[in-house]
Amino acid sequence: MAAVEYFRPADLNEAIELMARHGQKAEVLAGGTDVIVNLRDGALRCKYLVDIKQLPEMQELHYSPARGLVVGGAVTVNQLIEAGPVIDHYPLLAQAGKTLANTLVRNRATLLGNLCNASPGADMAPPALVLGASVVAVSQAGQRKIPLEEFFVGVKRTALQRDELAVSVEIPAVSGRGVYLKKSRIKGHDLSQVGAAGFLSRDGCLRLALGAVAPKPLLVQDLGTVRPEDLRLEEKSTAITDKVLALINPISDQRASREYRLAMARYLVRQVLGILGGEVGNHEESC
Amino acid sequence: MKKAVNFKVNGEDVSVAVEPGKTLLWLLREELNLTGTKEGCGAGECGACTVILNGKPVNSCLVLAVEAEGAEVFTIESEAKEGKLSDLQQAFIEYNALQCGFCTPGMIMSARALLNRNPQPSEEEIKEAIEGNLCRCTGYVPVVEAIRAAATKEARK
Amino acid sequence: MSQSLIGLGIPRIDGTEKVTGEAVYVHDLKIQGMLYAKLKTCPYAHAKIKNIDVSKAQALPGVKAVLTGQDVPFKLGLYMIDRPMLATGKVRYFGEPVAAVAALDEDIAQEAVNLIEVEYELLPAVLDVEEALKEGATLVHEDLGTYSWIKNVYFPKPGTNVANHFKVRKGDVEAGFARADVIVENRFFQPQVLHVPLETHVAIAKWSTGDKIKVWTSAQSPFAVRNLLSAAVGVPGSQIEVIVPYVGGGFGGKAGIHLEGLVACLSRAAKGRPVKLTATREEEIATLPCRQGLVAKVKTGAARDGRIVAEQIEFLWDAGAYADYGVNIGRAAGYSGVGPYEIDNVKIDSYTIYTNHIFGTAYRGFGHAEFFWAIERQRELLAKELGMDPLEFRMKNVLKPGSVTITGEQVSEHTGRVDKCLAVVAEKIGWPLVKSEEEKAREAKTGRYRGKGLAVLHKAPAMPTNTASSAIVKMNEDGSVHVLVGGVDFGQGTYTTLAQIAAENLHLPLEKVHIVFETNTDTGPYDWQTVASRFSVMGGMTVKRACEDLLAQMRRLAAAVLRAAEDELKFGEEVIYVHQYPEKRLSYSQLALGYTYENGNAVGGPLIGRGIYIAQNLSFLDAETGQGRPALDWTYGAHGVEIEVDTGTGDIEVLKIVSAFDVGKVLNEKLITGQVIGGVVQALGTAFSEVMIYNGEGQLLTKSLVDYKIPTVKDLPVEMEVHFVETPQLDGPYGARGVAEHPMISVTSVIANALANATGLEMLEVPLSPEKVYLAMQRSRVFKNYGESVDKVLNLGEHGVTRA
Repeated sequence: MAAVEYFRPADLNEAIELMARHGQKAEVLAGGTDVIVNLRDGALRCKYLVDIKQLPEMQELHYSPARGLVVGGAVTVNQLIEAGPVIDHYPLLAQAGKTLANTLVRNRATLLGNLCNASPGADMAPPALVLGASVVAVSQAGQRKIPLEEFFVGVKRTALQRDELAVSVEIPAVSGRGVYLKKSRIKGHDLSQVGAAGFLSRDGCLRLALGAVAPKPLLVQDLGTVRPEDLRLEEKSTAITDKVLALINPISDQRASREYRLAMARYLVRQVLGILGGEVGNHEESC
Repeated sequence: MKKAVNFKVNGEDVSVAVEPGKTLLWLLREELNLTGTKEGCGAGECGACTVILNGKPVNSCLVLAVEAEGAEVFTIESEAKEGKLSDLQQAFIEYNALQCGFCTPGMIMSARALLNRNPQPSEEEIKEAIEGNLCRCTGYVPVVEAIRAAATKEARK
Repeated sequence: MSQSLIGLGIPRIDGTEKVTGEAVYVHDLKIQGMLYAKLKTCPYAHAKIKNIDVSKAQALPGVKAVLTGQDVPFKLGLYMIDRPMLATGKVRYFGEPVAAVAALDEDIAQEAVNLIEVEYELLPAVLDVEEALKEGATLVHEDLGTYSWIKNVYFPKPGTNVANHFKVRKGDVEAGFARADVIVENRFFQPQVLHVPLETHVAIAKWSTGDKIKVWTSAQSPFAVRNLLSAAVGVPGSQIEVIVPYVGGGFGGKAGIHLEGLVACLSRAAKGRPVKLTATREEEIATLPCRQGLVAKVKTGAARDGRIVAEQIEFLWDAGAYADYGVNIGRAAGYSGVGPYEIDNVKIDSYTIYTNHIFGTAYRGFGHAEFFWAIERQRELLAKELGMDPLEFRMKNVLKPGSVTITGEQVSEHTGRVDKCLAVVAEKIGWPLVKSEEEKAREAKTGRYRGKGLAVLHKAPAMPTNTASSAIVKMNEDGSVHVLVGGVDFGQGTYTTLAQIAAENLHLPLEKVHIVFETNTDTGPYDWQTVASRFSVMGGMTVKRACEDLLAQMRRLAAAVLRAAEDELKFGEEVIYVHQYPEKRLSYSQLALGYTYENGNAVGGPLIGRGIYIAQNLSFLDAETGQGRPALDWTYGAHGVEIEVDTGTGDIEVLKIVSAFDVGKVLNEKLITGQVIGGVVQALGTAFSEVMIYNGEGQLLTKSLVDYKIPTVKDLPVEMEVHFVETPQLDGPYGARGVAEHPMISVTSVIANALANATGLEMLEVPLSPEKVYLAMQRSRVFKNYGESVDKVLNLGEHGVTRA
């Protein structure tokens, strides 16, 4: 690994200042499960690592009916999936989190880090998208809240400015049923060949999101008001699936061919709809 | 530019100066001569480098040494107490849960972290705990059996 | 000792040091003054090296040696001496090393590597065995004719990409086909795969004044390393010391010589300082060798009653850039190539072919896991053509006592019983599968179908006719013994078995038998290689004979002291006594270093037992017909499997796999079961997820464990069952045969047979990944052509991916 300098800012202001000063040459270090691998590979070249794990704002994991869920940047995926409020109010997140890599990685990897790494196949992206998540970022210019569907701008590229520091993920209070399904090469820990998340809110708002089928995780909205029983109808389910398939453009790579990704996207979306519609499934979670 | 790191390894205080780019795995093996923890891939894919960091099993190749400041780390060298093998270690031998032995320290650390947290794990929970520990020799079946047997034995104590 | 140790599930004797992390592997070793080496590897499959500029690397402070191909004009090879230590003139595979640096630490070495500038001129890459054979194909080794190789055993064709052509000719295939009622012809494909030992290749070498070389290496065959290193660098073997401590997995990938030569040369260039080179996981994957790929064309004719009358096989081995073990694999597969079946008319042409893929080496099964994919699928397809139950079809044709193999070897009562193995697995898997109407309806509704499959296998150790082994047993003052062998225990547990044999023969408790774990060519006795499933057999025999030698020495000495005839003496627990008068006895410790009388006179001396073994009765194979006796022993086996395939995704779940092997005698039931479970799971990896994928230019895409997926604990069958048949091998220790490789064989085919049973889908290519199975199902609705390989039909779009 090329030489890097390591900073452990004591407070958020110091962290913001470091990002402002070093910008291009600095990288935020949370769980390190992407950053350290990329540094080793040479895929990431930076001079400064800014470790944010000890900042109180990053450690926040809090739920209230008013604000919804706030997940700080240092909260690990295992902490997330084991947290009472997440299990009670966002079981989709817990269910999706369990599919990410393996428990050793999950003890370091963070929700925010997974989103900031912005891999097209990031496991937490589709669930976070369908839950209406936003990323809160700070800089010397102030704070802003970026809706997740605007957050991903390209393959491994986010809307964060170079001097901006992502601090937390905020998810509004929700009520409904969600599920995340992932197709991989093996049953053990693996990246996704295709990932599909769905959330059907109690008031009939259906959102679907897919990973690994486009340069960015893809959110599909404007699916109209839907009742669970509608989704059990072959016609309706097929119509929605067709709409989703028309929007995706998967590539062929060593993980899967385009043809298989298209087929599995169709299959997973169909399954997601079935589960949201109340058909018996392995991964149904409702709140 | 080396940076000082102070933390606890296997119950002992340690103070070293290390370059920020070095991993905890490197520090344990090269500076502290705790070579029980192995490097299988250096990229968080194989689990051979598993240690227990602040109570959680992690890939030490994905932790920078400097991140361990103030932390408590346990490696395979902490498992046997005063030269006596733990029930877990004995179960590994009894059930033939090891062959070449290279994945074994990492495997035992993952199992140890599991049993510390969950003394009576189900088969599913055992598999979840060692999903990130690759083994090419045993085919895993005896590893699961050994952990289950050790759990039963430890629970009786 | 009342109970015999032989057969018992004694826990391995090297458990303690492994569960505590105290076992030292070469990965863990540091030698005083040691430098660290790094490699510069090439990113192209085939290219001329126009220029290498190492000046900046050499100038970097802390760098002690920089080598390029010109600095080490040595070639390595076991049979074909074809591999330069560092690429010279051109590079032949993606990942081939072009330069090496030794420096004070790894960071400096890596920085120096980054400063080396290489100018390449791309050459067309030959990435397909069939393309490689065509007239006018790009040559991987233009100078093949100038190389040395073992004459009259291997037959390369200079001016082509053929490294070896092995032939079997038995009977008259044309006449056989003319008589056949049914003929089936298919093309099968097996891609390259990787060993993935958890400990990567690593070596430390020290080249001292007077050309004394000391090597520490993670290797399976220290004497082969010594021998091959000597041949490569021209230093007598007696001046080379090779040391192997604990090894973190081998699987054949550490069988020959790999990094040792280069590291030794780095040491010499660094003025004799020890140098350590540890392969990164990425280098383990792309720079170190893999398992060759195979295209197998099989044409089989059978009579209406099910008897196979003729078989014609063409094996095209994708050996990659260098032959390494590849020519021998082609040969071993050749003489074994129809499987454990009696066929009177056979024609086999087994070609080892150079391509610009990463080169292949030995891998558990040595060609057999590869070709049994083809053979056991072909058996199934032929049975279907005949309308016969696959079990019945196999039973009709498998080798039995009295059968003659394709190399003219007669199967005897003691060779082993493949039919018994098959019968066991068929019974335990509940053959045949019968489904109720409700079940069929449920399957049609859910899209999840069950199927069962059977397959058989065999393998003999592929080794020279004069393969030899030896052992030394030294007694210590307290009557305990140290056993020295030249083979390596890299997890398979052989040392434990040898300890059992020694304890049993010497009437010692197991705790008093110490197998010297570190293998050292200076201090230990010779052993050929720890490969080929022969170490338990040959090592077992040598230890047994060394014990007998030790006992004979004790007898001689005790006879004098006890004033009894030698044949009147008996051994008890650590004592030797006169049979009729047991109170007249001596303890082992009284004899260990010689016997001392009461008045001080001493006779005898330290007890050292010696045992030797050389393969008996093996012969060279005829260059034209392949006839002869190649096999030390044949271990037969079979698998039965039940699977469930989800036609919605292509996922296959293995519900139950039953494996049976005729091992002659189970020496340690715990360790042998471990070998089988481990080998079957490793094989399942090649069945479902393991495949090396290259792009169109021959660059490897599956470069790390992110994309090369081996089984995790979550990828296991629901149930695994292991059975052993014991038809004693008369010249094996206690009747035993080896079984180390056999669990890897025919697992791919048995799964595909079950898949066909479940859905009618006939796969001719592995891995049976969810993607391949799913897409093949889609295709099979349109293309009902057994001969079509799915990949050729698959439209992969603009991001075309070719599989190896």
